[in-house]
Amino acid sequence: MAYIWPIGGGKGGSGKSFLTSSLGRLSAGLGKRTLVIDLDLGAANLHTLVGVPYPKKGFSDFIRKKTLRLEDTVVETPFENLFLISGAHDNFDIANLPYEQKIKTLRAIMKLDYDSVLLDLGAGTSFNTLDFFLISQHGIFITTPEPTSIENVYRLLRSIYFRRIRYCFNVTDFKALEDEVVIRFGSGSVSKPECMIKVIADVYPEKHEQLQDAFSAFRFKLIINQVRKHDNAALGMQMSRMIEKHLGLHIEFAGNVAYDDHVHDAVCQQVSFLERYSYTRTACDLREVSRQIVQSAGKQMVFNYM
Amino acid sequence: MQKGFEQLNYYEMLDIKPDAVPFEIRHAYNAALQVYQPGSLASYSFFSGDERRDILSLIEKAYATLINDQARKDYNEELISRGELNAEKVASPAVKKPVSIFNISHSPAVRIVITNNEALKRKINQSQLIGDILAQNALCGADLKKIRSELGVEIEQIAQETKIRHDHLRSMEEDHIARLPAAVFLKGFVRSYLKCLCLEPVEELSTRYMDTVARFPQK
Ligand SMILES: Nc1ncnc2c1ncn2[C@@H]1O[C@H](COP(=O)(O)OP(=O)(O)OP(=O)(O)O)[C@@H](O)[C@H]1O
Ligand SMILES: [Mg+2]
Repeated sequence: MAYIWPIGGGKGGSGKSFLTSSLGRLSAGLGKRTLVIDLDLGAANLHTLVGVPYPKKGFSDFIRKKTLRLEDTVVETPFENLFLISGAHDNFDIANLPYEQKIKTLRAIMKLDYDSVLLDLGAGTSFNTLDFFLISQHGIFITTPEPTSIENVYRLLRSIYFRRIRYCFNVTDFKALEDEVVIRFGSGSVSKPECMIKVIADVYPEKHEQLQDAFSAFRFKLIINQVRKHDNAALGMQMSRMIEKHLGLHIEFAGNVAYDDHVHDAVCQQVSFLERYSYTRTACDLREVSRQIVQSAGKQMVFNYM
Repeated sequence: MQKGFEQLNYYEMLDIKPDAVPFEIRHAYNAALQVYQPGSLASYSFFSGDERRDILSLIEKAYATLINDQARKDYNEELISRGELNAEKVASPAVKKPVSIFNISHSPAVRIVITNNEALKRKINQSQLIGDILAQNALCGADLKKIRSELGVEIEQIAQETKIRHDHLRSMEEDHIARLPAAVFLKGFVRSYLKCLCLEPVEELSTRYMDTVARFPQK
């Protein structure tokens, strides 16, 4: 089974696609058969970042044609061992992917025969995005050191936490839980999974144990991208400690990636940043982050919530 | 896990070991301020204004207590008496490296295991009392308690096994209607309780219990 790395982050422009393509290239460079999938439908641009300006086929074909398998929509890239499922030609938002299609896609992704699969999830916290994020225990969060981006990443994190809790309950029980949370913690607490988990510990102790097991299996990662000279380098560490303390979720800080104007240049010239500017601080950071992530991977588990 | 911040002890709040020296305490305090201060990027949008204020005031208190020798001593005593901190008996004097004197421990709990299920089931089949109770068309908390006592199972064992809080179990057995959790949750409780005692059929009995309880006068 492939290692699956869902890559999410709050705000647009934080560098999810750039990091997906970079991590994908580094993985392919190690000789691993690597597939990057653009699930940021509607705003797809991963193909451009991996050197395939006009992909001949893509994810939309899988959705539209019943007989097609997901692996039939894969295209090669100019880089050895790196493959792509493009999101271009999709004019709908992933949030609108119908339920059956989503399940079909999730199953197909898990069956893919590659060493690593990276999912560029785009911004947003639609249920579909959350479900794709939860397909593997290796979800990666990307943020920049700006309050706007951090706010979004915290929202995404709490949404994912809620979504995972939600899998354990049916609609009515979940509603009852929500009501109970408001009764106990006040109306400001509905968006706080940490309050809900306390209620669950009290009224569904067995489910609480199951959830604890599930959450302790997650190996979430946090990357701070576009870090400039004067930014606080300890930010990622502070965030991960705080999340652990207050949400009880373990997120490992995988490193900072420096801001570099050459990223823009490489994108514009349609060349690989890692190759053209391989001695820059940013390229070093990318290699370090990639090493971190692969090293602490552990084993890929099969999740079947649905 | 998942203790609220306010339930952590001062050492945990500041992320330091119980044998931290003042230098480390000061350092940890500054680090905490960096994270929790209103302008901090790391905690941006994470807390409401009130939550942030509460956390900061706890951190102040933690720092003020731990940095003062006498206050810290008193606080340690308090933790020791609560069983959260062990005054460690240092083993061999031959060890030269520094040893910590305290060890934080949270659950001294020893696990009591319910006697095996087969034995329980046999007892249930043989007991006249249990047979009579299960033959009625009502089933209240007091009945559950009678069955449990007949089987010789302690309430602590049920709490251990089902992870249901003690006070909830007591309220159930005493039919303390006002203290029972909402029906949706109660149903789960009674199911776990029945399963734990190997009482069957679980669905039917839990429904019977829920119906019985629903007919009690509300306080
Ligand atoms: N480390 C970096 N240094 C400098 N510029 C960067 C860096 N990372 C990303 N960028 C720039 O930010 C822009 C946005 O990046 P990217 O497209 O990867 O973001 P995104 O998170 O995928 O956005 P969206 O949610 O809109 O898909 C890129 O055009 C790139 O030039
Ligand atoms: Mg993108």
